[in-house]
Amino acid sequence: MELQKIIDALELQTLTEMEDRTVSGVYISDMLSDVMANAQPDSIWLTVQTHKNIVSAANLVDIAAVVVVHGKTVPPDTIDLANRFHVIILSSPHPSYALAGRLVELGLQP
Amino acid sequence: MAKETCPHVWAMTHVVPGFIVTEKCSLTGQIVTYMSFEASPPLQQWRDGEHLWNVIETAQSIRFDLVCATCGREVPYDELLGLMLCTGCDEACRVNRLQRQLAPQRTWVYVAYGYRPVEEKKQLTPEKIAILETYFNQRRQSARSQIRIVSHELVSDIGKCYAEVIKDVELTDLQTG
Repeated sequence: MELQKIIDALELQTLTEMEDRTVSGVYISDMLSDVMANAQPDSIWLTVQTHKNIVSAANLVDIAAVVVVHGKTVPPDTIDLANRFHVIILSSPHPSYALAGRLVELGLQP
Repeated sequence: MAKETCPHVWAMTHVVPGFIVTEKCSLTGQIVTYMSFEASPPLQQWRDGEHLWNVIETAQSIRFDLVCATCGREVPYDELLGLMLCTGCDEACRVNRLQRQLAPQRTWVYVAYGYRPVEEKKQLTPEKIAILETYFNQRRQSARSQIRIVSHELVSDIGKCYAEVIKDVELTDLQTG
């Protein structure tokens, strides 16, 4: 599924530079070590974490995009680092559970 | 398939959560790091010979090994404390120079760092670093970007390095929105 389709359907806010990505799954976690061990490439990663090292983790496992949930504010230095490494960061005011339900409805089955 | 001729396909195994503990001796200034697998990270000050150790940081992370899904060869990573993404903080650092060289190809440089003190702890071999790099590149399902993993020996000054470490610490966002 194209990332832009997900962004439009879920009304996600784009915080970084965008590029075309194909999304094949969803991963929900707030622990970077867990993402490093278990997240699949080309996944959308839902998290409340906003520290710069989410870029490091997302980049390592080739996450399609990071969605910061609950309306958490992403600091400028995280966004700057994400742009340097072509990591896409999106934002939503909704919690992970609500977004997960919408993603399943869109066709991203668990 | 014989392990010697197998074109290995790597997977993570024996994943164990733990705490990366950094301690500093208040008498000598020496810093040590290790991984604790206890339920709660150590916090107490303790004496060991000429040293008086104080915990200055704990961070949740994982310890893992790699296993080949084809031949079953296992590669342990007891020496690996963590991975960190080069952010180009030092113009003279060899890692930074490598990152600048590889960035146009979307190859991102991570440093595999071991435990401190470096001269006393067993460190990752070049072969293990190469296998680790292969694993993370095999895990990517496209050639859109690649990972290069290098030894911490290439870092000009690990004490001043601003690379982004993959560990669970300092992640609390005090902002409510």
